[in-house]
Amino acid sequence: MDTAFAKRRRRDLIVAAIFAAIAAIVPLFVKDVYVQNIMVLTLMYAALSQSWNILSGYCGQISLGHALYFGLGAYTTALLFTKFGVLPWFGMLGGGLISAVIAMALGYPCFRLRGHYFVIATIVIAETALLLFQNWDWAGAALGIDIPVRGDSWLKFQFVRSKLPYFYFALALACVAWLVTWWLEDSKWGYWWRAVKDNPDAAESLGVVVFNSKMGAAAVSAFLTAIGGSFYAQFVSYIDPESVMGFQFSLLMALPAVLGGIGTLWGPVLGAVILIPLTELTRSFIGGSGRGVDLIVYGTLIVLISLARPEGLVGLFSPRRKEAPR
Amino acid sequence: MTISRRNVLLGATASAALLPVASRAQTSEVVIGVIYPLSGASAQIGVDAQKAFETAAELINKKFDFDLPLARGEGLPGLGGAKVRLVFADHQADPQKGRAEAERLITQEKVCAVIGSYQSAVAVTISQTCERYQTPFMSADNSSPSLHRRGLKFYFRASPHDEMYSKAMFDFFDAMKKKGTKIETLSLFHEDTIFGTDSGNAQTKLAAERGYKIVSDIKYRANSPSLSAEVQQIKAANADVLMPSSYTTDGILLVKTMGELGYKPPAIVAQDAGFSEKALYDAVGDKLEGVISRGTFSLDLAQKRPMVGKINDMFKEKSGKDFNDYSSRQFMALILMADAINRAKSTDGEKIRDALAATDIPGEQTIMPWKRVKYDETGQNNDADPVLLQYTGGKFVTIFPPQAAVAEATWPMK
Amino acid sequence: MTAETIIQSLASGLLMGLLYGLIAVGLALIFGLMDVVNFAHGEFLMIAMYATFFLFAFFAIDPLLAAPLVAAALFVFGAAVYLLIVRFAVRAKANAGMVQIFSTFGLAIVMRGLAQYFFTPDYRSITHSWLGGKTISIGGIFLPVPQLFGALVAIAAFVALYFFINRTDFGRALEATREDAGAVALVGIDKNKVFALGWGLGAALVGLAGAIMAIFFYIYPDVGASFALIAYVTVALGGFGSVFGAFAGGLVVGLVEATTALILPPSLKSVGIYAVYLLVVFVRPRGLFGSM
Repeated sequence: MDTAFAKRRRRDLIVAAIFAAIAAIVPLFVKDVYVQNIMVLTLMYAALSQSWNILSGYCGQISLGHALYFGLGAYTTALLFTKFGVLPWFGMLGGGLISAVIAMALGYPCFRLRGHYFVIATIVIAETALLLFQNWDWAGAALGIDIPVRGDSWLKFQFVRSKLPYFYFALALACVAWLVTWWLEDSKWGYWWRAVKDNPDAAESLGVVVFNSKMGAAAVSAFLTAIGGSFYAQFVSYIDPESVMGFQFSLLMALPAVLGGIGTLWGPVLGAVILIPLTELTRSFIGGSGRGVDLIVYGTLIVLISLARPEGLVGLFSPRRKEAPR
Repeated sequence: MTISRRNVLLGATASAALLPVASRAQTSEVVIGVIYPLSGASAQIGVDAQKAFETAAELINKKFDFDLPLARGEGLPGLGGAKVRLVFADHQADPQKGRAEAERLITQEKVCAVIGSYQSAVAVTISQTCERYQTPFMSADNSSPSLHRRGLKFYFRASPHDEMYSKAMFDFFDAMKKKGTKIETLSLFHEDTIFGTDSGNAQTKLAAERGYKIVSDIKYRANSPSLSAEVQQIKAANADVLMPSSYTTDGILLVKTMGELGYKPPAIVAQDAGFSEKALYDAVGDKLEGVISRGTFSLDLAQKRPMVGKINDMFKEKSGKDFNDYSSRQFMALILMADAINRAKSTDGEKIRDALAATDIPGEQTIMPWKRVKYDETGQNNDADPVLLQYTGGKFVTIFPPQAAVAEATWPMK
Repeated sequence: MTAETIIQSLASGLLMGLLYGLIAVGLALIFGLMDVVNFAHGEFLMIAMYATFFLFAFFAIDPLLAAPLVAAALFVFGAAVYLLIVRFAVRAKANAGMVQIFSTFGLAIVMRGLAQYFFTPDYRSITHSWLGGKTISIGGIFLPVPQLFGALVAIAAFVALYFFINRTDFGRALEATREDAGAVALVGIDKNKVFALGWGLGAALVGLAGAIMAIFFYIYPDVGASFALIAYVTVALGGFGSVFGAFAGGLVVGLVEATTALILPPSLKSVGIYAVYLLVVFVRPRGLFGSM
């Protein structure tokens, strides 16, 4: 059956494959370490924002506390590795599972909260976790966890100078997050979420079924976000509560999706590609003065983009279709 | 032999090919990276730091008659008079950003050394990065004791760390007790980031070793909107000495809240940070007559070593402030790093590192009250003697150790 | 843990709570009016504090006298923010909620950057003021005068707001516009004018809080961040759309914060506030007095 919808989905898949292929060969031409770093960060945020988008964009439960899962992923990996010698690959899975379980456990009481109440609940839960970690001596408390890097190793997922392995991992994670979103768009859950977003009272009649799908969305979103956190721990080799569980991280995960187009397939990717290089470059080249000019530039751009294109920048590329069809 | 055009061309090409190599050995400038928080909550520190480093760079690059390494010449004589050029970067107190900036400075700006960073958490990642690129890193003002114990070859710290500072405080307590002052109970008041945690740990350990009783150990959240509950608890504990480890914002709030709640401890012995910042004394200095802080630097050293006063004036012209504990350490860090590069006669990381390891400068050739500058195998200078300063009549006066003191301690506080 | 410690902590917590309420009520007004989260609320507080400081530093005007001036200035500023930015955010057909959050978030960053650019990151303090540094002691319990004054102003503000919203025409127009912006146009009420004035009023209230806080708190570009989260939690706890809720929320937050600091290590005192918030909304999903 070749509906317009199915055609679009095929086209999305092909475009994604092409982008991924292009992205995969870019590092072979761009050797500058600083630029590679920006690319890795961009891919990481694309993955994180896409994961966030599943719960907050598609499912409509706006979370500004996703740093909780990011931090849990980072800490699980780091603690298992430094304290028990568990390889990061297993630590990653552990972090993902823990986060998924916690997301569902939190979702159970929180999903009945509406709108801003839910948002604030997510914020305070993440802040509570941050405070707990900041005061938990066994987990390093404020001193954080320093992951010793003793040489290149795929087993331990650490590399002294090369950014390429990190690049490809982040690319893979971004692709996975994208594919999960793509798949969800044409799934039962996806249909329910769209129905519920258009008509919140319809949720009442759909009842338990919708609730379960929200739990599923929370679990998937948290799992992927935690993997991102584990990646970060290996990438930077040092984590502390402020850097992986802070509120500004929660905002940074949401921002690319919002600017690019929340609840859309390409929004988070587009948002990340524009926002992250912008953040890094303004800090590096304007920030050195200490006058705060980089903040002014960065903030103004966020205001302008969010006002000029409220539905997100994806709208620029295909004015006809903004969301999946009903 | 006739010089054919072909030969000239060959010769020219050959020289051109060799030129980059030759010019590297004879660079006209030495580029050093400086990474500090230049925006966000600690931006003031970063901005002041820039002035400190610029003062040091000026001293190196121009002729001054001071008995300080590299002051007397113009530039680095070991590299043909090459001048020092600083490249500043902002880490925004984020370890990941600090790392990104360190990488950028090393790979794009081609710095041969890096100095930083105020926040110890960011020093962790910057020093890791420098290690990976075999570029020396000088910790100008990070005081966390764990930094030099990570097995890094390229990490160096000329100034003391928190265990050394805390030891000086307790040596001072012991000395005061010998003279008959009652010091038995202590209240610790520390914030919850790396600085406060390290400080609290060091003080707790020393108190146990030296037989002092900690009657109150308050860990508070940095940048809290209110400290009333916390201050009420230390007030109730009523120790002989209050020992705060606080940054400027919390320090100001602490002192104001103490005033509001009517709490005046017999003595306050602070772990520096906010208590060495002009902003704090501008805000609440009237309540802090007699407060004691540990420090690295004391301005009254100028009485014995005139160049300290003159260099302070140079800094004051740029920044509008006197040297304090941070700006003085930042200044020295650049001087010491440049001195090592000069002795290495090269911008190669390994050579500079070896020159740093071989450093042996007597304290009189610095602006600090140190015995000498000599790094141990972990990169730490153990001869950097801390001092204790007392805020009297609007100025800081050195009261400990005896060889550096210019006055007796006033105890209790007014 | 003496009785004196407990009573003193609670008294301080109560005063601080009223101040949190004053900071939060402006936010509650704007929320209640148009369902908009102002993520730059902390920065409004910050410029109010700077304005008070500069009036003191350059014209030697005491913060108490400056307070009405600062409130007026913030009123204009708040209305301007609505007219120039938020008005367009609200018009967004899609994702209006997120756009509001992020456009005001971007505004917050710009304001901090501008503050750093113009005022430098230096910490400022008002060193001499009529109330500054004074404290009164009642039965051994210390009550700092600036906070006491702030608490009284907060109470007065709440009472005034109550009458304003329920008894005046404009107040009723605010309520009506919140209920149904489309319908009020039919009655000749200009929605934009009402919203702009609502934003102005909300900002003026924060201006008042900032002027009082400048008497005893330090001032620097990021000072708003410490108070912003508490303000949001306070409003949510009390219930969006309820001015009285912000007042009650402030009291609860102040007291819970103080109590938690007595039981847990003070570095965890905010956990008490967050736990109470979660408990309240799990039982009453609209906050204590929320109507939305």
